[in-house]
Amino acid sequence: MTTMSTDMPARTEQTEDPRPKSARRRRREQQWPAYVFLSPWMIGAVVLTLVPMAVSLYLSFTDYNLFDPPHWVGLRNYTEMLTEDPRYWRSVGTTLLYVVIAVPLKLGLALGAAMLLKNLGRGRAFYRSAFYAPSLLGASMSIALVWRALYNDGGTIPHLLDSIGIHTGGWVGNPDLAMYVVVGLTAWQFGAPMVIFLAGLQQISPDLYEAAALDGAGRRRQFVSVTVPMLSPVVFFNLVLEMIQSFQVFTPAFVVSNGTGRPADSTNFYTLYLYERGFTASHMGYAAAMAWLLLIAVGVITLILFRTSRSWVFYADEEGR
Amino acid sequence: MPEPPSRRLPRRAVLATAAVALSTALTGTLSACSSANGDASHGVTLTFTWWGNDDRAARTVRAVRLFEKEHPGVTVRTSSGDFGAYMQKLATQAAGGGIPDVAQLDYRQISQYAGGDALLPLDKAVGDDTIRTSEMDKELVRTGTFGGTQYAMPMGRGITGYAYDSKIYEKAGVPAPEPDWTWQEFAEANKKIAALGLKSPDGRHVAGSNDGGTNEDVFEDWLRGRGGKLYASQTRLGFTEDDLTAFWTYFDDQRRHGAVAAAEDTVQADSTEWTPIGRGLAAADFTWDATFPGYPALLGDQVRLAPVPTTDGRAGNYFKPSMLLGVGAHTSHPKEATELVDFLLNDKRAGDILGFTRSTPPNRTIAARVAKTLKGPELAIYRYGQTMEKYGVDAPPSAPPRGDVAIQTAFNRNYQRVMYDRASPREAAREFIDEANRELRS
Repeated sequence: MTTMSTDMPARTEQTEDPRPKSARRRRREQQWPAYVFLSPWMIGAVVLTLVPMAVSLYLSFTDYNLFDPPHWVGLRNYTEMLTEDPRYWRSVGTTLLYVVIAVPLKLGLALGAAMLLKNLGRGRAFYRSAFYAPSLLGASMSIALVWRALYNDGGTIPHLLDSIGIHTGGWVGNPDLAMYVVVGLTAWQFGAPMVIFLAGLQQISPDLYEAAALDGAGRRRQFVSVTVPMLSPVVFFNLVLEMIQSFQVFTPAFVVSNGTGRPADSTNFYTLYLYERGFTASHMGYAAAMAWLLLIAVGVITLILFRTSRSWVFYADEEGR
Repeated sequence: MPEPPSRRLPRRAVLATAAVALSTALTGTLSACSSANGDASHGVTLTFTWWGNDDRAARTVRAVRLFEKEHPGVTVRTSSGDFGAYMQKLATQAAGGGIPDVAQLDYRQISQYAGGDALLPLDKAVGDDTIRTSEMDKELVRTGTFGGTQYAMPMGRGITGYAYDSKIYEKAGVPAPEPDWTWQEFAEANKKIAALGLKSPDGRHVAGSNDGGTNEDVFEDWLRGRGGKLYASQTRLGFTEDDLTAFWTYFDDQRRHGAVAAAEDTVQADSTEWTPIGRGLAAADFTWDATFPGYPALLGDQVRLAPVPTTDGRAGNYFKPSMLLGVGAHTSHPKEATELVDFLLNDKRAGDILGFTRSTPPNRTIAARVAKTLKGPELAIYRYGQTMEKYGVDAPPSAPPRGDVAIQTAFNRNYQRVMYDRASPREAAREFIDEANRELRS
C-alpha cells in the first residue's frame, strides 16, 4: 500500500500556490481542527503500526522463542531462510503460483459480473448485493469451514463431478488439488473489485460507445477498443490491491489444511509458514524475518506494476492535453 | 412481487448492518462489564484450562465445582479446547506472561515452559505436602521436573496402544495381538486383511491399519524396541538417517500394497471420526490408551485395545505422563492454585468424578479405587496397563527438548512427502534430520 503513493507527489507539487503569504498563514492557522480529527489515526498508526514494525525489524535479527529474552544473531535468520530451509522456497513457490492463478481469475469474474450488471435495470441492487455478500462473509472462519466441507471426501463438489463422470476424490486430501480449494474461495469473493469495476464502467461516456457503433464497431470491438482502455486505470487499481492481498492469503489456507499446510505442504502458503514458524515452533525472530522479506517482495512487485503501468494504463484526461 | 426502488435498498441494508454492528459492540461491552464485576465480589478467581473431549470437560467441571464448594470464596474459571488450538493458545498466553493459574500441560512442553520461567516451581508445595505425592510412583513424578526442579505434576499415566476391530481380525484369521507380537506379524496381519477385499461404506478398499509413518509416537515405539531412542540429549537426536529411512520404507511399502490406509485418509485423520478405522477404511489404528474409548464409542464393542507391535518381543512403549498440571509463574494466588492441583490429583471424590478420563490416575490408591467401578473401554485401559506392567517396559525418558513440538509436526509432514511421492523415504529422512537439528541447535 505504501508504494502506491510514490507517484502522487509529482502531480500535486506542480500546483504552486500563487496567493500572498498572509492568506497561506491564515490557512495554516485553520488547519488545527484537521490535526485534531486526524490524531486518533495518527496515535493508532504510531502505536499499532510503526512501533510494532520497528520491534519486528529488531526481532528479525534475533533468536526469540517467546520465553527467553531475544538473542542477537545478526543475519542468521535471513541466511538460514534463503540457503538452508527447503520449506521456505516451497512456500514461496506455492504462494507465487497461487497469486498467478487466483488474481486473474478473481478479476476476470469481477469484470464479467460488472459487465452483466451494468446494463441491468430492475433488480440491479439485489444482484449487486448478492454478488458482494461473499466479500463480506468470505473472510470468516465459518465460511472457510463450509468451503472445506464442500470439497472434502464425499463433499458436494466431488459428488457433482462424480455424477458427470469426473472422478477427483476429495480435494482437501489431494496435494494437486488442495490449493484450488483456496483459489476457489478467493475467487468467489469477487464482490469488492466488482463494485469498483462497476463504478469504472459507469464513468465511461455513452458517447464513446455511440461513436464506436456509428463507425461500425461490434460488441466485441467496442469492448476491446473502448471499454478496456477506458477501464485500464480501474483494472490497474484492482490488480495492485488484489495482488497485495493475495500474497497475504491466510485464513482459507489455515482452515483447509487445519493449520498444517497439508497435504505434503501443498497449501503451505507463505503466511501460513510464517505463522507456523512463529506460533507453533516458537521462532519469532525467524517469522519476523520472513515478514520483512514478504513486505520487501510485495513492495518490489508493486513498484514493477507501477513502472509497467505507464505503457498500458490509459488516463482519459492525459489524452485531452 | 414489486421491488422497492433500487436507490433505497442499499441505504436500508447499511442501516441494518450498522444496527447489528452497534448491538454486537454494546452487548460485547456489557458482558465484559458484568464479568469484571463478578470477579471483584467473589474474592479469589483462578483460571484453569485443559484440552480434551466433552466427557473430560464435563467431568473436570464437576470436580472443579466440588473444589469451589470446599473452598468458599474461590471461583475457578475453566476453559478447554482441542489439543492443537489449546497448544497454540497456551503458547501465546505464555509469551504474554500469562499462563493460566492452573494449566494442563503436555510432556513435550515442560522443557520449553519451565526453561522459560513460565511455570511456578512446585518444590515447596510438594515439600510441605500442599501437593501430596506419597501415593504416586517416584519415577512418574520425576517426569514433571526440569533441571532438578519440580515444575509440573503428572495428571495421568498413559501408554501407546493399538485399537483393532476384532471381528475383521477373526475374519482374516489373524490372532488377537499379544504383548510380544512383532512388526513382522503386524505387516502380515495387514496383508491378510487387505486380501479379504472388504469394502467401506463408500465402496472403497479396507486396509489393515492406519499408516503409522506420520506418527512420531509409533516411530518411537519402533525405535525403542530396537534399543534406540528419540533424543540422545537435549541438543542431539538419538537415531540416524538409516533408522528413519528403514521405518518409513517399512510403512511406505505397506501403503503401496494397500496393506495400510491411503495417503489422503491418513493425512486427514484429525479426530477419531476421521481416522481410517473410524470411517470404515481400515481395521486398526495406533492410539494412546486415554483416547481409546473414542473408538468403541464410535464403532462398537468389537474394537479392542491391544499392545503395539514389538521388535523380537522387546516392547518399545513406556508409561509416560499422559498430561501434567502446572501452575502459571505469574499467578496471584499460588496457594489456591496448588490446592486445586492437589485436589484434582489426590482427593478421593475428585478421583471418582474424573475416573479414567486422563487414563490411569497417578495416585495409586485412587486408581485402584476407581478401577473397581470401571467397565467397558475404561476397564480395558486399566487391564492393558496392568498387562504391560507385568510384561515389562522401560522407565520413561527425561522430558523431551524444547524443539520437540516442532520436530513432531515436522515428522508428520516429511512423511507426507513420501506418501504423495514427492520424496523417497531417504530424501525425506535426510530433510527431517536437517530440520530437527536446526530446531535442536536454536
